Amino acid sequence: MSNIWYYVFTLVFFLFDYFILAMGLNIQYGETGILNFAYIGFVAVGSYVTGALALPSSVGTGQHYILGLGLPFPVNLILGGLASCGLAVVVALISLRRLRTDYLAMVLISLSLVLYDICNNFVPLFNGADGLYNVPEPFAGVLKLTTNSFIPFFAAVTGVIAALLWWVMSRITRSPQGRTFRAIRDDEVVAAALGKDVFRNQLKSMLIGSFYAGVGGGLIIQFSGSFNPTAWLPGETFVVFAVLIVGGVGNNVGMLVGSLVVETLLIHLPAFLPAIPGHPGLIEYFDSVLIGILLMAMLWFRPQGIVPERVRRALSLGAPANLVAGRGEAPGSAPGRPVPVEIATADAQGEK
Amino acid sequence: MPALTADGVSAGYGRTTIISDINLTAERGNVTTIIGPNGAGKSTFAKTLVGILRPSKGRITVGDVDITRMPGHLIPRNGLVYVPQNDNVFKRLTVRENLEVGGFASRANPETRMAEILAIFTDLEKATDKKAGFLSGGQQNLLAIARALMVDPSVILLDEPTAGLSPAYTDVVWNQIARISQLNTAVVVVEQNVERALKHSDFVHIFVAGTNHVHGPAAEIADLDLASIFLGRSGAH
Repeated sequence: MSNIWYYVFTLVFFLFDYFILAMGLNIQYGETGILNFAYIGFVAVGSYVTGALALPSSVGTGQHYILGLGLPFPVNLILGGLASCGLAVVVALISLRRLRTDYLAMVLISLSLVLYDICNNFVPLFNGADGLYNVPEPFAGVLKLTTNSFIPFFAAVTGVIAALLWWVMSRITRSPQGRTFRAIRDDEVVAAALGKDVFRNQLKSMLIGSFYAGVGGGLIIQFSGSFNPTAWLPGETFVVFAVLIVGGVGNNVGMLVGSLVVETLLIHLPAFLPAIPGHPGLIEYFDSVLIGILLMAMLWFRPQGIVPERVRRALSLGAPANLVAGRGEAPGSAPGRPVPVEIATADAQGEK
Repeated sequence: MPALTADGVSAGYGRTTIISDINLTAERGNVTTIIGPNGAGKSTFAKTLVGILRPSKGRITVGDVDITRMPGHLIPRNGLVYVPQNDNVFKRLTVRENLEVGGFASRANPETRMAEILAIFTDLEKATDKKAGFLSGGQQNLLAIARALMVDPSVILLDEPTAGLSPAYTDVVWNQIARISQLNTAVVVVEQNVERALKHSDFVHIFVAGTNHVHGPAAEIADLDLASIFLGRSGAH
């Protein structure tokens, strides 16, 4: 496989993978309003657990890690996603019940830093700063895949998983549960006043989003065969936020577009461009600058993102002919007849 | 049996007591209004009724169900629904979605219930696909009331539903409130506008400094020296 195809399929993989990650953050932030600044920590947990489950026992490997069960793909991937869900439960029980918006965001940033320091320094957990490596490539033995053929194969596998997760996410966001998430995002007090258990619904959103984060992280370690703390610096969370903001918060199609623009074109494509003579590696550092400029431009000129949140269209509702107003009868109305009420057309005077 | 009973309710924030020993009943088919000067504890009392604040003393019942220490999200299922004062709609959801969010707390078929509600709030039926944030302030208040009715409540508690509205639209909202009460629902309104409250209510409670200072039928309350009462004097003739 020529270098160009290697690049292309690598870009395709990251397009699909960040699409998955963005969908996970979107259900938390875009749909439910949870400002999860520790999102990259959930990705890392999924990645480490997926990798450590795929690896054999650490004895004699020169690495130090827990688990080491040698589980096949995708069992390890699913368990990696569930491990992120486990972290979500702990985080939710500690912080989500009592903290809101900015305070919750501060706690989650702190959590991200704590997780990073633990994984970076506590070697017996996931091999410290060296991270995990030599993670077996899924199906490589069974399908006799070479390094060259594995990349397009796994990009395709990731595409299939992304499509499946998109379908699931679409079902969730279109369901009454999705509507409840959005109601809580818009106003927690009003949602609670209508009988919605805010904490329970936020926990559900955290669990769903964290599973997506864990799966997205698991796919990264399965694709690259390694994962270490430099891959998930706490600032990486803001790259996923950039995908959301550029693509369009609250829209799953927007996540795909955001992933294409931010992750594929701005972050990974520059890494494959020819180096500037005399300044090797300079281009790669431009990605942060470009993302910052793009974010400011989007927030200024198009805050709704490239693909804005859809207005869910409804069919026209007609009142039943035999409508009876409520459980009682309005004075002066005959039983069984509707009680028509005229409301003055709202005009400028009605504005608050 | 009253639809809503508050018996000796006291509540506040932390160790600071805001309302003391409040008694109030609301009957189905009636509009019961709570008026009083700023800082009298009207909104605190409303929040206590719906579980946002925990009462330090007293008992609150809806029908024969004790909701005194019930978690807030369970209270609507027992018949008491609260419409907050401002920002009371889900602005990025459509009118229809706003109503549906309310409908799923109800045991009734949401579609049937929505058709009933839209037949009453005819303006909203024309705007079911519109985002609630694009409605005028008055329409948003009506949507919030309509959405609360989706739960099919026995008691609806409105916190200053006409705040910030023009006089013309204030009348529209009050007329709707009167009609809601005719649907065999007890309506409890927290209101600043004394004149309109007296005009549209069956019973009025005047809160002063965290106590239920005076209460009675609206016609009798109208005869009192309300200015004196609002200033903390007895005001009774």
